Amino acid sequence: MPKLNRFTVEIETGETGTELPVHFTINNHKLPLDDTQGGVGPGETFSGGFEIRSFAHSLTLVGPESGQWDIRKMKVNYDCEHTPPYSVSFGEVKLDEATEVNIWHDPPMPTWDV
Amino acid sequence: MSVLKKLSQMFSGSTSPKNAGEEATAEVKESSGSPGPFAEQPPVQRRVIQAPVIVGQAEEKDSSGQILIKAEPSRDYEQCKFMVNRPLFEGHSWLFSNFEEAAGSPLAESVFSVDSVETLLIHESTAIVTKTGAKGLSDWEALAREVGEALRKILEGGTELISKDVTAKIPSEEVVREDIQKVIDTEVNPGVAGHGGKITLTAVMGNTVTIQMGGGCQGCSAADMTLKQGIHNAFRKAVPYIGAIYDETDHTAGANPYYR
Repeated sequence: MPKLNRFTVEIETGETGTELPVHFTINNHKLPLDDTQGGVGPGETFSGGFEIRSFAHSLTLVGPESGQWDIRKMKVNYDCEHTPPYSVSFGEVKLDEATEVNIWHDPPMPTWDV
Repeated sequence: MSVLKKLSQMFSGSTSPKNAGEEATAEVKESSGSPGPFAEQPPVQRRVIQAPVIVGQAEEKDSSGQILIKAEPSRDYEQCKFMVNRPLFEGHSWLFSNFEEAAGSPLAESVFSVDSVETLLIHESTAIVTKTGAKGLSDWEALAREVGEALRKILEGGTELISKDVTAKIPSEEVVREDIQKVIDTEVNPGVAGHGGKITLTAVMGNTVTIQMGGGCQGCSAADMTLKQGIHNAFRKAVPYIGAIYDETDHTAGANPYYR
């Protein structure tokens, strides 16, 4: 697992939105996202990130304090040490007060034609 | 405000500092509902769920009719997956544990002709090869090219890839399901129950099975060893016609996985 310097997340909200701020957890520590732009209302797009500079044993996006949040799509951009920057797109997920969604993904393994 | 009054409010959980941020508010919300002093509820444990990963690059189209083979080593470099743009063993999977087992199956014979190939697992359009002692990417670069050539040579020949004897050994899905469930109930689960673990059979497709590791196994640091040395061995010993075995457990999810 490489050291995660920074990550940013872009979120497209579906039919049911929620309210700001958006929180995430890093190794079970809950924090609000930095450098946020946009909104998390129905159909809105939001982006934010955080300077982690640590190893991400777990990285999650936290659901709303109440109600439901329909996420249509998320794209997470990772900047890890000794690894070229990479992005992972996640599909539809519904979050509520009892859930958080994993947004950590190991760097992709190299593939080549043989 | 007197010290006694402050203490009383602290224990009753009826107030929070005026300048507290949203974090503090959330914490009070999470722990509210307690009837009195010393009876605070622990914060709500959220469940970690997984969102589907959207594959960024579309699979290359076979418009030229060429045989395309991509190699991808596993994270521990113990094995390398070869993704081919045509079927190798449709609807089924098969593990060739050694060269002798490859006899009669031209595709397996060809792959085993490459030095240091240890095992070969064929499933639909993928071939997974293990190699003794592989520790890094450099161990696979040359070998993967040789395996790719071996696969291409057989595919271009247009002959039968897997022996009919292999296919004949595979019973119906119902029989596979019953036999695997029996091993889980009589051997595997009694074995892992001592550690609070539980194995569930979640899917059977042809002779390919998918399991989920629950209870104490989910998130356990030894889960990989239990899977490969315990469960795989038990399954293959009792049900020799079983092909690929997949584990769909999310070892980072739940309230108390080892990793968190």
